[in-house]
Amino acid sequence: MNEAAAPQLELHGVTKRFGGVAAVDSVTFQIAKGEIVGIIGPNGAGKTTLLNCISGVHRLDGGDIKWEGVSIAGMPSYRIAKLGIGRTFQIVRPFGSMTVRENAAVGALFGNASGRRAPRAAFELADQVLELVGLKAKASLPVSALTIPDRKRLEVARAVAARPHLLLLDEVMAGLNNVEIDEALDMVRAVHATGVTVLLIEHVMRVIIGVCRRAIVLESGHVLAQGEPEVVLRDERVIQAYLGERFAKRLKS
Amino acid sequence: MIARAASIDRWRRLFVIVGAILVAYALLAPITSLDAAQSANVPLLADRLWFRIATIIAMFVVMATAWNIIGGITGYAAFGNVAFFGIGAYTTGMLVAKAKWPFLVALPLAPVVAAAFAALVGLPLLRLRGHYFAVASLGVGVAVGELVQNIDYNGQPVFGGASGLFLPIFAIDNRGLFFFYLMVAVAAVAIAVTWRVLRSRFGYGLIAIRENEEAAAVLGVNTTAYKVAAFALAAALTGLAGGIFSQWNVFINQDNAFPIEYNVQMILMALLGGTGTVFGPAAGAVLLQLLIQFLGGSLPISVDIPFVSVDARPIVAQVILGVLLVVVVIFVPRGVIDFFGGSSRLSWSYLRQSLRETSL
Repeated sequence: MNEAAAPQLELHGVTKRFGGVAAVDSVTFQIAKGEIVGIIGPNGAGKTTLLNCISGVHRLDGGDIKWEGVSIAGMPSYRIAKLGIGRTFQIVRPFGSMTVRENAAVGALFGNASGRRAPRAAFELADQVLELVGLKAKASLPVSALTIPDRKRLEVARAVAARPHLLLLDEVMAGLNNVEIDEALDMVRAVHATGVTVLLIEHVMRVIIGVCRRAIVLESGHVLAQGEPEVVLRDERVIQAYLGERFAKRLKS
Repeated sequence: MIARAASIDRWRRLFVIVGAILVAYALLAPITSLDAAQSANVPLLADRLWFRIATIIAMFVVMATAWNIIGGITGYAAFGNVAFFGIGAYTTGMLVAKAKWPFLVALPLAPVVAAAFAALVGLPLLRLRGHYFAVASLGVGVAVGELVQNIDYNGQPVFGGASGLFLPIFAIDNRGLFFFYLMVAVAAVAIAVTWRVLRSRFGYGLIAIRENEEAAAVLGVNTTAYKVAAFALAAALTGLAGGIFSQWNVFINQDNAFPIEYNVQMILMALLGGTGTVFGPAAGAVLLQLLIQFLGGSLPISVDIPFVSVDARPIVAQVILGVLLVVVVIFVPRGVIDFFGGSSRLSWSYLRQSLRETSL
């Protein structure tokens, strides 16, 4: 991580409550341009809620989020997308009546405001992105003909076609087998290599260790630890959060 | 598979040719009623009654095609579009009857006022989804009709009240023919607009909203602005049809400018033909309006329905339309356009598959 670079994304005390429950509770961290950061944590830790806060799906109850120095808290989703923050959904949300190619083209037609394309150019970009994620051969198929791993690829393709500067990936590897995870890892690396900052939520530790140089651990809405993935995963508090106190002790002995 | 594709291709070509001949006949036949044609001994291919029906069909082509923009492409089931028809009718009607504007100057204001009204009510209404939007839009459609009839100022009805509004007759030779072609031109505009929308960024944004509104928003689609724009566009086209109707019919009141049954009919037409497509709603409008006229006994060809007296026919027509709606939604969810130029053939297996898919 380049310490000298100004942070691209800054979260200061970000809080989101649902009724009495603080799903995300004063979370503070920064991400520099070009980083690839993992967010991990047990179920219900607030990972997806945090992503929803950044992408404008949820309104914040407290704190502030700055993108390249400007506050984006309270902005509607489409404006955040226009600034260059793209995301995928954990449960894929393809446009069912469209072909694979059209799905990706919608990303290219909209997305990052600097460089929105006319339909013809959008379809050209869609083809390039589909090649990047390995869906080129299935471009003209309807979404209903895709397998689950392919739908996850399409979810990423659509977000990448929107030309984001920061890509938020919500468990794109969940439910994939080992071979598919390797392919998905290559895909994430390929996207990152095009100069996109990546923030990914993942349960599969192999993914975090494989691609991230920094990991942030969330637990009950708080940041529990952050740092190099190998170090963080050996942190006693992190093991406790995942396995409970009893098993953490047993693991140690 | 290849043989099947080739046969569908042949089927499609046949449909396009037959369709083109029918459309050409419908558009050109009325010309034979011109005095010049009659004195040249051209056989009369369409009488005045036919024009009237043909003009009504063209009017419904406009309404169904316009509804398709908000209901079919954007996926917001608007049940109150007749409000825009009535607003268009009353805008032109008031300007011609009270302000004494020439018809062709007053007509362009009908779509403008209807679209402005749609934008105004669309901002709050389009925040609702699914059934809530359908019910709320139905309420607006009914409310506008009631308001227009009941608004008084100094004890005088502002918009003609319950006795309606009479317009001076538009002085032009071959009036029937003029209004027929005017309505057909608007229908052509509506279809062309749909064709253009479906190939634009705007259209892809609308389809994205229909398929998954939240995903569309995080991809950068300004969902509120797009929905309101689609609603206003549908309203403008519907209002234009209403504006023409007011001058053509010369008399408008709540009953003929805000008929609640039009709401259902235009949706049924779009569903029957195929929502989200360019020509589907138009095809549905032609088929269904012919059926309505036939059941109402207005067509030269008429069949006696057993056990039904002539007086009861309009009621039976309503029942048949209702049954048709159910059958279409269950068995032909993508509309009849799917058989012509689409990728499917009408067959038992198609109907069975549709039944399975809709019951999911």
